[in-house]
Amino acid sequence: MKTRSKLLLLGLAALCAVGSAFAQAKKRGELNLFAWSEYIPQAVLDGFTRETGIKVNYETYSSGEEMLAKMMARRARFDLIQPPDYIAEALIKNGQLTPIDREKLKNFGNLLPEFLNMPHDPEQQFTVPYMVGTVGIVVNTEKVKEPVRGYADLFAPKHAGRIVVVDDGRELATAALYTLGKGLNDFSKENLAAIRPVLAEWFKRVKLFDSDSPKTALLNGDVDLGLVWGGEAALLWKENKKFEYVLPAEGAHLFVDLLAIPRRARNVENAHLFIDYILRPEVSKLISDDFPYTNPNGAARKLLSPEQLANPASYPKTDRKLDTFRYLGEDVAEAIDKLVTDLKNAR
Amino acid sequence: MHGLPGAFSANPHARRPGAWGWWLLAPMLAWLLLFVVAPMGILVAYSFGSRGMLGDVEFGFSWDSYARIADPIYLRIFARSIGYAALTTALCVLIGFPAAWFIARRGPGWRERLLLLVMIPFWTSFLIRTYAWIAILRSEGLLNAVLKSSGAVPHVFAEPLELLYTPAAVVIGLVYVYLPFVILPVYASAEKLDGVLIEAAHDLGAGPLRVFREVILPLTWPGVAAGMMLVFVPAIGMFAITDLLGGARVSMIGNVIQNQFTKALNFPFGAALGVVFTLLFVVSFALLQWLGRRKDETAKAR
Amino acid sequence: MSSVLVAPKHEPVSKPSTVPAPPKRASRPGRSGAWWVERGLALWTALVLGFLYLPIAVLIGYSFNQSRLNITWEGFTWRWYGELLSNKPLIDSFKNSLIVAGASTVLAVLIGTTGAWLLHRHRYRFARAIQALVCVPMVMPEIVMGISLLVLFALAQVDLGHATLILAHTTFCFPFVLVAVQARLQGLDPALEEAALDLGATPWRAFWLVILPCLRPAVVAGTLMAFTLSMDELIISLFTAGPGSRTLPMQVYGMAKVGLNPMLNALSAIFVVTTVAFVLFTEHLRRMAARGADTTFSKP
Repeated sequence: MKTRSKLLLLGLAALCAVGSAFAQAKKRGELNLFAWSEYIPQAVLDGFTRETGIKVNYETYSSGEEMLAKMMARRARFDLIQPPDYIAEALIKNGQLTPIDREKLKNFGNLLPEFLNMPHDPEQQFTVPYMVGTVGIVVNTEKVKEPVRGYADLFAPKHAGRIVVVDDGRELATAALYTLGKGLNDFSKENLAAIRPVLAEWFKRVKLFDSDSPKTALLNGDVDLGLVWGGEAALLWKENKKFEYVLPAEGAHLFVDLLAIPRRARNVENAHLFIDYILRPEVSKLISDDFPYTNPNGAARKLLSPEQLANPASYPKTDRKLDTFRYLGEDVAEAIDKLVTDLKNAR
Repeated sequence: MHGLPGAFSANPHARRPGAWGWWLLAPMLAWLLLFVVAPMGILVAYSFGSRGMLGDVEFGFSWDSYARIADPIYLRIFARSIGYAALTTALCVLIGFPAAWFIARRGPGWRERLLLLVMIPFWTSFLIRTYAWIAILRSEGLLNAVLKSSGAVPHVFAEPLELLYTPAAVVIGLVYVYLPFVILPVYASAEKLDGVLIEAAHDLGAGPLRVFREVILPLTWPGVAAGMMLVFVPAIGMFAITDLLGGARVSMIGNVIQNQFTKALNFPFGAALGVVFTLLFVVSFALLQWLGRRKDETAKAR
Repeated sequence: MSSVLVAPKHEPVSKPSTVPAPPKRASRPGRSGAWWVERGLALWTALVLGFLYLPIAVLIGYSFNQSRLNITWEGFTWRWYGELLSNKPLIDSFKNSLIVAGASTVLAVLIGTTGAWLLHRHRYRFARAIQALVCVPMVMPEIVMGISLLVLFALAQVDLGHATLILAHTTFCFPFVLVAVQARLQGLDPALEEAALDLGATPWRAFWLVILPCLRPAVVAGTLMAFTLSMDELIISLFTAGPGSRTLPMQVYGMAKVGLNPMLNALSAIFVVTTVAFVLFTEHLRRMAARGADTTFSKP
């Protein structure tokens, strides 16, 4: 008898351990947030938790494709995601997003109209802009004396082994398209073939592919030039004015990162609360302080310091019309991925 | 892997299991079927499917994914992964064997102390140990600082040594992480080796080289083989070290497989790569076992 | 698969104190060649140990450095340890790791110990096949195990989270427990259970009162190994974790990918100190077991 009850006890203990884990996962008052790495300050998450009592689980990814893959294929149920524009477009087309209830967003009016009703979400039904930015060139002017104006200068042979670029196939392929004078969404078969030799040359000169924090290698002096996210460049400029930001002469594009609620979200209410919290001017300013991308929140911009607004990487002065990415289907995405894998491994 | 088939219990008192015996074993069998056999089966099924919308898989029977592996890109990546893993294994054995031998030949006190010193890195998180090399190999890292301040050979080291984010960094990291995996099993067989045998060989007039080749190596081979397996298998699929020290420039097969599941949304292709990888691994496992058996036989024949 | 070293770790448990004494060094004067070889080997071993320890030592040193970039020494500080302890995501991931490792260790020990005993006691049909199947998770490349479990969960429409992590971790942990216990069982006198049964014990009581106490050192070793394996596992977790169940290695991997971080230095130092304590503890246990083994019922 005694032995059996002991065995039973052991079994029960195991069950309890598993059960508590299940309970932990199902507990209410949570928000499962899936967002870019280096994009949401911990202080903002803490502030939200302090105010609402909702625990935020923050998982990260480092490319739009990664987000899509992890969300769709891995049956990971997130409550709030932060897709870039073209990925959101794919999700909307496939009915994977829950419409946003505008009634619940008191602070929606803070957003600047120029960032609303864009092609990826013409009715502004499913998404709310989080941050906006460009992808441009950073030059350490202490180490690089000659001017760098565009992709051609950046990937010049003399810079071989001194370059960091974002580890993002679509971005790199787009830069090559620009260099050939093509439109940024024009990935026809011919164009894909045409950018191949261009990228092949470039990749030989790249020292490091890093999407998570390309600024680190620049700051540490491991590299002197980079093709990086605007916000990363802005942080570098803030750190040291020797880091100059250049919008490539051949063409640069605008990305819009959004907040959206997946169809299978468990905590839709909490997701709305979080979006509305982010839209508050003072909260949005906190984000701009840590990750100085272009803030689409007009009320928040009024709170920024003149120096923040003068940061050329956050608010680049350009008369050019910047285009945005469109979703081009999985065949194109795969063709780009294959091209990049191929070229990275050519050596 | 010594001890695997040997662990099979040969209890002379074992009885035929009754219904109870099977019922009690059922949970473990079910677990193995559900979480080892079934997933592999699904993986094979996936590999013959085709890619649907947004990560869906349409089941069917197509060799497309396998045909894609025959593409030179992926063959090259496979070859490179094997090459790196083999190089890592060879370096680990070359570096680890003498040390393991030395430790095994100490008196009990020293032996235990030295063994503990190997055990500590063995149990320390491999991520932390990989991360350490980032700090050392950077352009402005410790290695370059030391080289610069030493100034002994100013001409050679005028430019900082660019090691981080190169294949060399990846191999250094792999060797560093897996070295204890060779030392420990080699130690285990070296320790069992009776020193009298070596004495005897010496007395019979064998030179040191001959003693090594004909006595030491055959008798420690189980340990060496186990160590090689323990390094080669994980090294070939390891993508974390390649990512951290290779700057995402050097892809290994692990990186490509991971990529299919976390970025490219092509499950069937990823599954096919996984299946080929597994087959490759089974073959190398069998090869190593066969080699070991042949060594045993030749040793016995002498 | 990391740390597959069942054999060397457990050798001493199964055959204690029968280690042949190594030959006396330089037993004959005048063999200067051997003496030099010996010297060379000693130097080599010292270099190898230096290679193993230098990077760890550097990290620990830097963890007290005020400089964020680690290039020069700017003075002593505990600051990074403070930041580490107030870093919520890190603490959360640590809790997740404890939950996952705790639950999978309990399951692994239950399955592994009963499995080892049953396979030892009964002559099952297909016993060899079952034994081989048990070994598969130990030798299977981690990434293959990760993706195969991922496709299983995707197809079964199970949402990823703590539960899937625990299932995955148990799968690769329990064979280690099983093999450890099996090694111990082989050293046990098989007549032991017979005797208990002859004296009127039920098979249950015989197992519980006679066999299990003899197996304790192996079960303890298996428990420690399962727990450590689970705490250190990264690759399989990357494929089977869901929202809110990120483990400590996943968090560290994410931090290391972003680049140098003084907090990681501090974390490394804590890891190393914990590991040293852990290794010394297991070593202590092993010695106790070796000493105890003489008095328990081992095979003559």
